[in-house]
Amino acid sequence: MFKGCNRTMSPDFTSRWRAGAALMAAVFALALQAPGEAKAAESAAVTSPRVTATLLSSRDTVAPGERFHVALVQKLAPHWHTYWLNPGDSGEPTRIEWELPAGAKAGEIQWPAPKAIRVEPLVNFGFEDMAVLPVEITVPQDAKPGDNFTLKANGTWLVCEKICIPEEGSFTLDLSVGPASVVDQPAQDRIDAALAALPKPAPFRGRLKGDSDKLALELAGLPAGAADLRFFPVSDTLIEHAADQPLATGEKPALTLVRSGAFKLQQPETTGVLTFREGGEPRAVTLVADVDPALITAAGGSASAEARPAVVRIPLPAEGADLTLWAALGFAFLGGLILNLMPCVLPVLFIKALGFAQVAHASRSEAREQGLLFLSGVLVTFMALAALVIGLGALGGQVGWGFQLQSPPLVIALAVVMVLIGLNLIGAFEIGGSVVGLGDGLASRGGRLGAFMTGALAVVVATPCTAPFMGAAMGYAVTQPPALALSVFMALALGFALPVLALSFAPGLLRLLPKPGRWMLVLKQAFAFPMFATAIWLIWVASVQTGPQGVLAALVAVLAAAFVVWLVGVTRGSLPRRIFGSVLAALVVLGAGWFTVQNAVPGATTEVRASDIGVWSPERVAALQAEGKPVFVNFTAAWCITCLANERIALSRQEVKESFGKLGVVYLKADWTNRDSRIAQALAEQGRAGVPLYLFYPSRKDAQAEILPQILTPDIVIAAAARAAGREAKTAALAP
Amino acid sequence: MKLTRQGFIAGLAFSGLALTLSPALADGPRVGAPAPAFKAVDADGKTRNLSEFAGKTVILEWTNHDCPYVRKHYNSATMQTLQKDMAKEGVVWLSVISSPVGEQGYVEGPKAKELSVQRDAAPAGILLDPKSGMARAYAAQTTPHMYIIDPKGTLAYMGAIDDKPSSSASSLTGAKSYVRQAVAEMKAGKPVSEASTKSYGCVVKYAPVS
Repeated sequence: MFKGCNRTMSPDFTSRWRAGAALMAAVFALALQAPGEAKAAESAAVTSPRVTATLLSSRDTVAPGERFHVALVQKLAPHWHTYWLNPGDSGEPTRIEWELPAGAKAGEIQWPAPKAIRVEPLVNFGFEDMAVLPVEITVPQDAKPGDNFTLKANGTWLVCEKICIPEEGSFTLDLSVGPASVVDQPAQDRIDAALAALPKPAPFRGRLKGDSDKLALELAGLPAGAADLRFFPVSDTLIEHAADQPLATGEKPALTLVRSGAFKLQQPETTGVLTFREGGEPRAVTLVADVDPALITAAGGSASAEARPAVVRIPLPAEGADLTLWAALGFAFLGGLILNLMPCVLPVLFIKALGFAQVAHASRSEAREQGLLFLSGVLVTFMALAALVIGLGALGGQVGWGFQLQSPPLVIALAVVMVLIGLNLIGAFEIGGSVVGLGDGLASRGGRLGAFMTGALAVVVATPCTAPFMGAAMGYAVTQPPALALSVFMALALGFALPVLALSFAPGLLRLLPKPGRWMLVLKQAFAFPMFATAIWLIWVASVQTGPQGVLAALVAVLAAAFVVWLVGVTRGSLPRRIFGSVLAALVVLGAGWFTVQNAVPGATTEVRASDIGVWSPERVAALQAEGKPVFVNFTAAWCITCLANERIALSRQEVKESFGKLGVVYLKADWTNRDSRIAQALAEQGRAGVPLYLFYPSRKDAQAEILPQILTPDIVIAAAARAAGREAKTAALAP
Repeated sequence: MKLTRQGFIAGLAFSGLALTLSPALADGPRVGAPAPAFKAVDADGKTRNLSEFAGKTVILEWTNHDCPYVRKHYNSATMQTLQKDMAKEGVVWLSVISSPVGEQGYVEGPKAKELSVQRDAAPAGILLDPKSGMARAYAAQTTPHMYIIDPKGTLAYMGAIDDKPSSSASSLTGAKSYVRQAVAEMKAGKPVSEASTKSYGCVVKYAPVS
């Protein structure tokens, strides 16, 4: 599946998609670990789309002093491979670190014979389909029957197809000590089969000689008729792995090998695995070869091929990924409700509600109908947005909630919408042509479409205001299958539409409203100003994204829009006049649109507006952590109102600055005002699809970050700073 | 205007037509022998060749931005620091991207430059090798894979970037940089003590021989 998809995509998409997929898959590798499986002789599986790994034990119960085998089993997806002790031209062998009961010992991995996996023109040594890696465990003599004997293996491996993904898994086997061992027969059989297939010591020794580039591995004692020979050296600095190994037959059969470009040989003997066919049967032996003293290179301190075990950290999914479906639905619903209170949304909805008040006096059923139409407007628009986010995500685009504000022309378009709504509210023009009474205007007969469109408009104007709670819900949504993601968006839409819907259905609520009158006109006009304010804010966002040219473009667009609504108003009447008006309006719209798109070009770099705040990059975080500094990262965007509120309320407060200074916290900002795939990826790693996101990295190298809530207070930030700096206990002075 | 120019450059890089190589040495590169000559299009669409750097030390870094081993060195800023330190020494650092069209790691000029900006990387140039001609000439195996060419055009070092063959960030602690060691020894007029090592990392994706 993985492969098939890739082939059909464009290269750029493919790599981005692959990186995303790799990350997601790495997360799933841990997330899908099934907890608490009952069978003692096989651990819970660690699963990724490439590898299903378990730890297998030949014993259910172990006896004191006995030795038995366990095995790490990797079941590999087609075309993927893990690596042998010497990985060949690239790669890294599987490693296991053990946590064992006191006195117990674990041996080295007993490596099966590898396969040469061609990655033209190179070669890898490893395993396809299935790797069973046995390890011998020694039970201490003094183990007491009745005690638990828990084996924990932390495995790390690199799995590659054409791309490589480091994976890791923790495996636990809960065995117990008994007076005598209890064998788990199926597991024993599998492990026995693997042990039987291990390469056996060859009944002869090899001899390695060489001149210049070529080496000769003499194999006196090689069975006659052996064919298809291949020597896999344990050292990765002995031969060119991909070179052919022709067999010179004769008195002394010898394989011709090509000396490695990084040739290094310091021991008088060298080992490897020799595979060949004998009578058609595949054979594998471990071969020790005596080295011609002339070949031994001078000692010079360098790492041997058998490097130390490495631990690969895969970022753990945070908050968002832990969210259950129901919690996500709940948060989304709540977030939707809160969206109603946003300054850009409230006027639109309030006017709608007033319209109901008007209609409800005349006909309750009509009010209900309007409510339902509004609901469908909201639902359809949200679903369209959701489909867009999911669709782009599936195509590999790094998008998140709020992505619509990363395009300057869209920001400007929203500003124009705000201005037009404002002008309409203040009475500069009327929609529908005739100047009608206020009540009629709000809920006229043509208001069916109007009600639907109000719903759609409300969603459009709500998009800039990413409410609290929504980050987590959206983060959850985009990581889920489309059906689940759509349900989350649906819950959001329902929450969003609820107040207006309730108003249209509950006559009791409507009666609470005063009778229509002059106050409605005044309120309507007053609501124009939040809309203008929102427009100012959006133009400011555009200015941050694009600079002065963007402001010019935005103001020209606003001017053109105002001119066009005026023009349409004054050219009403005779047909020629209307035609003239429409043509002129179309020209103005086209001209202004072209001008806007030409000028609203995102700036190349994002500036940071405070000298003591650094620009975020994952490297910087790692470097600072390595220096022992706690790091605070603020993932923000100019269009994210919650982010800006948090900056005002908490992050720019004096006491926060002082505590950062005292604790040596480095404040980094990741500005997502414009599109940035690295930031999108960092958000995804934390299970988020949008900003704000606040991370506090402890001052220890590679330590996981703490995620702060989406609504900050100075106390929250200061307490987190203390934790990150490792001064939790001594912060009495800083505590509230 | 801007877009058109970028498109033009991208087109140039994409075509890869300009990439030609002098006949590659049959048995690959060898420390102490003249470094294989190369001629490749850089991320700006300019054709670069080894001879223009005569008299300067040149470092070639085979790279692939999504490879976990490459990411280890970039995410920790070790690679960028090394690039900047080498630039201070007057060394010319060229990053080489050999993934062919359609393979993981393939990028065009603008994207390659964007990656440098994003990662705060400081190579003197990024060479695009989508036909893998340069990779074949140098027998590049992994990303990263490092080569150092001395001012006389002799290959002075080839192999790993350091002695910790792992993709884990913790492996950077205490790692010995073969590149720093080699450059320091070259500067001191000494022979490079570890002149060829086994490189480690992700496999270099090669274009099929056409």
